[in-house]
Amino acid sequence: MTDGWPAGVTTDVDDTDGTHAGTAGFSTRRTMSTTRRHTMLAGVVATGALVLTACGGGTGAGQAEGGGDDAEKVTTISLMAAEYSKDNTKAFWDAFAQEYNSKYGYTLDVNVVSWDNIDQQSSTMIQNNQPPDILNLNAYASYAKDGLLYDSDQVLPSEVKSDILPTFVQYGTYEGKFYGFPDLSSARALFYNEDLFEKAGVSGPPTTWDELAEAAKKVKDATGDVGYAMPLGPEESQGEFSMWLFNNGGDWKSDGTWAINSDANVETLTFMNKLADDGLTQNNPARTNRADAFDLFKSGKAGMVVGFSPLAGALDEDGSVKYGVAPFPTNDGSESKTFGVTDYLMAFKKPGNEDAVKAFYELYYSKEQINTFIEKEGFLPVTQSGLEYFQKDPKLAVYLETLPNARLTPTDDPTWDKVKLAVQQNLGAAMSGDPQETLDKLQQTAESQG
Amino acid sequence: MTTTDDVSAPSARSTTGAPPARRRRRRSGVGQVSGPIALLWLAPAVALIVGVVMFPAVMLFRASRSEYSITGLYRGSAGWDNYAKVLSYPDLPVVLKNTVVWVFVVVGLTIVISLALAQLLVKDFPGRRYVRWAVIVPWAASLVITSQLFVLLYDYNYGLVNHVLTTLNIIDTPISFLGDDRFTMASMIVVGVFVSLPFTIFVFIAGLNAIPEDVMEAAEVDGASPWQRWRQITLPLLRPALLIATVLNTIYVFNSFPIIYTLNDRNPGFTHDTLITFMYKLAFKSQEKDIGMSAATGIINVLVILVVVLVYLKVVNWREETK
Repeated sequence: MTDGWPAGVTTDVDDTDGTHAGTAGFSTRRTMSTTRRHTMLAGVVATGALVLTACGGGTGAGQAEGGGDDAEKVTTISLMAAEYSKDNTKAFWDAFAQEYNSKYGYTLDVNVVSWDNIDQQSSTMIQNNQPPDILNLNAYASYAKDGLLYDSDQVLPSEVKSDILPTFVQYGTYEGKFYGFPDLSSARALFYNEDLFEKAGVSGPPTTWDELAEAAKKVKDATGDVGYAMPLGPEESQGEFSMWLFNNGGDWKSDGTWAINSDANVETLTFMNKLADDGLTQNNPARTNRADAFDLFKSGKAGMVVGFSPLAGALDEDGSVKYGVAPFPTNDGSESKTFGVTDYLMAFKKPGNEDAVKAFYELYYSKEQINTFIEKEGFLPVTQSGLEYFQKDPKLAVYLETLPNARLTPTDDPTWDKVKLAVQQNLGAAMSGDPQETLDKLQQTAESQG
Repeated sequence: MTTTDDVSAPSARSTTGAPPARRRRRRSGVGQVSGPIALLWLAPAVALIVGVVMFPAVMLFRASRSEYSITGLYRGSAGWDNYAKVLSYPDLPVVLKNTVVWVFVVVGLTIVISLALAQLLVKDFPGRRYVRWAVIVPWAASLVITSQLFVLLYDYNYGLVNHVLTTLNIIDTPISFLGDDRFTMASMIVVGVFVSLPFTIFVFIAGLNAIPEDVMEAAEVDGASPWQRWRQITLPLLRPALLIATVLNTIYVFNSFPIIYTLNDRNPGFTHDTLITFMYKLAFKSQEKDIGMSAATGIINVLVILVVVLVYLKVVNWREETK
């Protein structure tokens, strides 16, 4: 149909002298009858619209994959893993699959997917009734609620369960059963630029919020750089806000009910709002994603930012910013609480895969495997034995101390999976509006989802 | 290609299906290709259309009438609920307005600028070949890469655009091109036009080359001014090219995802989304996280673009105009 003019187009590029060499497209057209042209153009339009829109839709049929076997024991299971880093993730899982095969005789199909796509791909696979056997993701409760997952009694060796830190067992438990097995964790801390602090005459990291505001102001006045980089854009605003609210005695839920608009949380958001209004943050915090805030800090243009160990890794590699890491200050100067994050390795119930899945966990939680993975990726352990192993690295001390008492977002509540998205999309509105109103709306959303 | 000189090309290009069969019939003039043989030739094209167009379309429609859990688990039929939910969605009016602005302004600007540039590029000048190659580059680059490049150019802290503007003292403080609601849409439109230009320019170059020289010479002899020649000869003869460029660009721009998604990723909610990114966010980013609603939006999108294009064709009355 359309072969006329693209041909014309390509000949045309090479056509240096000619005026007529590339006229194929439209002169051909002119020789055709009107009706033919009619059908052609209509065809182009209809097909074009369909093809392009269908491509955009992305609810495609998905690729046939593994599965399909009946209740017989399977010998091959599949893993969909999130890509923490280009260099290490794939390499680790490939080596893991080899070890798994030689030790247990099962085959592991490894599929490493970027964080941008993993939600989409896993959702498509579940839609088509072909979930992977093991899925590595940052949420699990909705899957447990849908009855798709094995719990720990079915697939997790008991010594592994007792090795996992109690905090993570707690947040991995949905309705009394442990479904969300953590693969690694991270804990946040305050990163500060020592050079900027020195120039501004700030002696050390702040321990209260007032000190933080003061330090930010001094940095800004002395250097013109950003005092405190505050990412409240949709990428991960719930993370930034969690860090602040936990250090003001607040929480997302208290005693099993949503407490998003509690007085402490409103006070927290109001303080953050004021920090932005006073010009102590970067421009437009409501529209700054975490990655952009990190970039600011990495380029030495921000005095402080809430970071985690991978940021430290990146900074060490660059070596251009002299930085310190300290516990995040609290509002009243009491002991700091860190915001912890963990991702999950969950196991999907599929006929005949129970033994292979069990073997997978036995191997993954063995000290060599899990500690190697976490060390390579630059994250933090999730097990007691891991805590001991990582004591050897003095740089991790600030995180490891706080890790057993880390506070997490309520990942054990399936409602959170939606509330999190609502927070990401709406929290920033408080920066140009009323914090109370913003949090009231989020509270309402959470309660109506319940 | 003309209708007489290539015997092998049409059949070699079997994916184009119908036209080769028709041409052969017309050329040979005797006999018809028998049904089964015609079907054999058509098979690859039919398979392609069924597999790549029909099947996903049917799946999309089925998904739009289904209820899914947030995990993607199928929960049963939803009837027309998903459509009702999408049509009553509070942010839909904003999204529609954005879509209209985005499509009209990008296509309009693209056509006008392309006309001018195509006019330049058909003129003979040394190095024209290289200029034409250069024009193709934005088309050849991946849209995501182009968009990311513009994100860097527009950046508030170290973007080149702000750097130039402040250095020239045009502005005092940097502009947040992507984070400030007043600038976001305009900034995206610039990128949209930038990536639509190459294709459109080449359609116009082909169209301009198809205009017979004798007509021009006759006009020149008759003493028509350059503007008259352009307005009364070039432009009318360029109508088929204009038509194609407008229709295809409309579809293409309407369906453009990477530009808006990449440049708008810092902005919460749906303030600057078009129907296409709205569809994506419903499935994966919004608190609904509902594949059914997203699929329903997909179906609505197909209908919208079809209606728009058909109305456009009706308005320009192209059957008459392209005679």
